[in-house]
Amino acid sequence: MFEAMEFSSFSEFIDMGGYGFNVWSVYALFALFVAANLMLPRIKRKQILREQKRRLVINDEMNKADQNDGDPV
Amino acid sequence: MWLWFSKLGSPKWFYELSSKWLPWLIGAMFIFLAVGVVWALLYLPPDYQQSYTSRILIVHVAVAGTSLAFFPIMAVAGAITLVWRMKLADMVAKTAAPLGAWFSFLTLATGSIWGSVSWGTWWEWTDARLVSMLFQFFLLIGIVSLRSALEEPDQAAKACALLSIVGLINVVIIKYSVEWWNLLHQPSSPLSLDGNSANGPEFWLPMGVMLIGVYLFLTVSLILSIRNEILQRERRSQWVQDIVRQS
Repeated sequence: MFEAMEFSSFSEFIDMGGYGFNVWSVYALFALFVAANLMLPRIKRKQILREQKRRLVINDEMNKADQNDGDPV
Repeated sequence: MWLWFSKLGSPKWFYELSSKWLPWLIGAMFIFLAVGVVWALLYLPPDYQQSYTSRILIVHVAVAGTSLAFFPIMAVAGAITLVWRMKLADMVAKTAAPLGAWFSFLTLATGSIWGSVSWGTWWEWTDARLVSMLFQFFLLIGIVSLRSALEEPDQAAKACALLSIVGLINVVIIKYSVEWWNLLHQPSSPLSLDGNSANGPEFWLPMGVMLIGVYLFLTVSLILSIRNEILQRERRSQWVQDIVRQS
């Protein structure tokens, strides 16, 4: 498997035949793009759940307070 | 058929089904992307003209090809929204637009980095492929801002569906631009089984793996955004409140 690799040394691998900057910047952009588009929806999901939970709790407490008023009109 | 159709349009049904499918889709996505990247970076032989810059094309072509899927998705979703008023279809149309803008941007950026060595220029206004892809990027940005500007959801869905049809025509122009106008951007090389040709199996195999990986990535990130959209739009329904309470 390793014999089929196109490089004989690590520095040659980094250099990419003199096009190291271009090749690696494309793969870095791609990695960043994939990571960001998987992470951002998860962060947003957590925010949504936190916000809605807060509203539900406030709602529950208001309902409870209404019931405990003890002065049914 | 109609039962199936109305079930498919139900956000709850989609949410539950996607919960089951997501782990498998994410797993398959990572396998395909990892194999594609390792194959391209370690094993792809240098092209006789492009040297190792052909490795850029593995990413560029996979992302560019996938970016063409957005307007067909949005046009179909928009048509379904207009005709059947399916809630889920409008969520698909809404979440696809910003993701498509990201894909178009990455296509332009990676292409530019490749062109800077192969063509000696980062950008060329006279090339039809480059300009039509830039138009797709701006059109998607326009759709995203239009949706946030229009308060009335029905109106927004209609306007975005209409723009999606313009985008659909542009997709055809992007696709055939390299054949209709033979300018700077090269047409795709024909697939060949011959190891000595410009696009033999040693190139299109890792490219195919990467393309499947990027399509899976599109599916996964679209599903994640749609699920967020469902949680927000269906927040008054009991089943969403149950999920919120359990979180």
